[in-house]
Amino acid sequence: METTNTPNTTQVQNHHFQFLGKGSEYFAILIVNWLLTLVTLGFYHPWARAKQLRYTFGHTALNSERFSFSGTGKEMFRGFIKVILFYIIVFVIFYLLWIKVNIFIGILFFYLALLSIVPLAIHGSFRYRMSRTSYRGIRFGYRGDKKWLIKNYIKWTLLTIITLGIYGSWMNMNIRRYTHKNVRYGDVEFNNDCHGSDWFLINFLGLLLTLLTLGIYSFWWEKNRFDYYIDRMSMQKGEQKIWCKSTVTGLGFLKLRVVNFFIIVFTLGFGTAWAAMRSERYIWSNIKMAGNINLDEIHQTEEEYTNTFGDGAAEFFDIDLT
Amino acid sequence: MYRVEARYFDGQSSRPQAIVVFTDERFDELRLQCADGDSFFWNVDDLIFEQYEDCLELRNKQFSGALLQIKDEHFSKSFLEAMKFKNKFDVHRRILNIGFPKIVGLAVGMLALIVAAYFWLLPPIAERFVAVVPQSADIALGNMFMNTFLNENRIDSTRTAYLEQFAAQIDFKNTIPLHFTVVESGQINAFALPNGQIVVYTGLLDRLQHSSELAALLAHEAAHVNYRHSMKMLFRNLAGYLLISLLLTDVSGIMAVLADNAHRLHNLSYSRKFEREADEQGLKILMNNHIDPNGMVQLFVLLENISRVTIPQIISTHPLTAERKENMQKIIKKSEYSLFQNDYLDSLFVRMQQAAN
Repeated sequence: METTNTPNTTQVQNHHFQFLGKGSEYFAILIVNWLLTLVTLGFYHPWARAKQLRYTFGHTALNSERFSFSGTGKEMFRGFIKVILFYIIVFVIFYLLWIKVNIFIGILFFYLALLSIVPLAIHGSFRYRMSRTSYRGIRFGYRGDKKWLIKNYIKWTLLTIITLGIYGSWMNMNIRRYTHKNVRYGDVEFNNDCHGSDWFLINFLGLLLTLLTLGIYSFWWEKNRFDYYIDRMSMQKGEQKIWCKSTVTGLGFLKLRVVNFFIIVFTLGFGTAWAAMRSERYIWSNIKMAGNINLDEIHQTEEEYTNTFGDGAAEFFDIDLT
Repeated sequence: MYRVEARYFDGQSSRPQAIVVFTDERFDELRLQCADGDSFFWNVDDLIFEQYEDCLELRNKQFSGALLQIKDEHFSKSFLEAMKFKNKFDVHRRILNIGFPKIVGLAVGMLALIVAAYFWLLPPIAERFVAVVPQSADIALGNMFMNTFLNENRIDSTRTAYLEQFAAQIDFKNTIPLHFTVVESGQINAFALPNGQIVVYTGLLDRLQHSSELAALLAHEAAHVNYRHSMKMLFRNLAGYLLISLLLTDVSGIMAVLADNAHRLHNLSYSRKFEREADEQGLKILMNNHIDPNGMVQLFVLLENISRVTIPQIISTHPLTAERKENMQKIIKKSEYSLFQNDYLDSLFVRMQQAAN
């Protein structure tokens, strides 16, 4: 047999994640954040968040190379101000419609505006977070279309209401598929082959078994959800591909959650930093990647991006985007 | 003069390059020399730096994406010292730099300061604040609560009419008009709203033996209104929550707290100080109206007995009620007062009790 080794057909390689954060370091960061937030009556909050993200991203490594988050408090503060402005504008238009046209048109507008802020937040948050994340000097990016997402988000929400929530699974997966499909790392494209029917089944069975086992199954339910998230994710660069595989276990989640619970309770909450680091360590050490994309050969493709609406909005609404 | 080897990502490709960094002690400028001999400069003002356990990472605001990794302990140390000297550390990093024990000390000190403020600074400030809030706010708040309260509870209109007549015989020294209502409920309770609305439950009313006890109850509640205790407690609670949510750096919960407090207006527990004030001022009202102040003492005896019946033996000795009773007895002993036999008041009381169905 003959092996050809042209640059296009790199051999399959395994990649491993590592989380290097330490509870004591993270605790110090949180304490200083807390002090500064307190002294500034809350205004330091965006800067505090930037510090937090910088720490967690900077201590996440793939093949021993760290990720990096370059977002700043100033940017996030601007995002927050924009969200406030958005609200003021919505209220002013609502008021004008109410006075000048009639109240129903006003209420309709108000609900549409409220409904569209969630997809706007998802879009903005992806754009901002991705554009500020880099690995080996190559930026991530998000290329989703804002208008498409808003239009479909409203459609899906209505469908979810009509089906008494059942369509919610499909809605969730539609959003995940669309957002992940539009993530780039340089010239590498992301993909998530997830479907509402699978998600519905996972959650239906998960809920049923959790109720039957008086909650014990919830850790295996969490494992199944996490598995589905990771296992369906892949990356592509031309012909080359990387697949992801989750190795979490129900028992692992059980141990993680129970121990974290005790850490937090017995330290009166001060152990939260350590608990958070344990979670990160567990999650990252259980994501495996394998494939033939050569991580030495990635090229910068993403433009610099400066809008920060979404991150403020997402936080404002407490949307979990991870 | 420093010369260190480093890894460099140019921000165009993910392939690292070996590079040599040259700089002098002042760290004004770094010269980056590539393997092919070409070199370029990074100005210190453009640098973003992050120190990790094993390496120093440098970025350049001008060359987005580009990343320089230096694994040289000596260089890192001197570099960071130079940056500190050049005032390139932000507040966060400067505090972080004072060391872990000092940070914890600072945090503990801060916490102690806040706790102290919570107990000693907050109450007087909240009271001062209430002094500048117009009483129309008390009335609006009370009305709002009373409307929903009346929808959920049945009024005993016959006894309400008697109670109004009964109260009209007493001068409460009130600043806003007082209204009296009897509500049908087994609960042994009575409360005053900031708008001057005083509500007595039939459960309590049925247990009263003498007109002076009822007068004492009304006088106590009227004193709560006169001294705006509801408003003061509301502001104190609100300020407390504000402080706590600031402590937890969560500001969004404040509106919920406001709504919650307005909702539970009749369960608002006053501080000991306010109860004492209402007791003493209520006693004064009784004496000024020549009503037997021992009605107040009897009222506490009654409350003491009730709690002894309803609360299990072990915790039955309610120290607060006993303490309040003793305080009343002490003041009565010291005071000079005259009594008037008010037959009309007594007969109103008897007729009201007979009207019970």
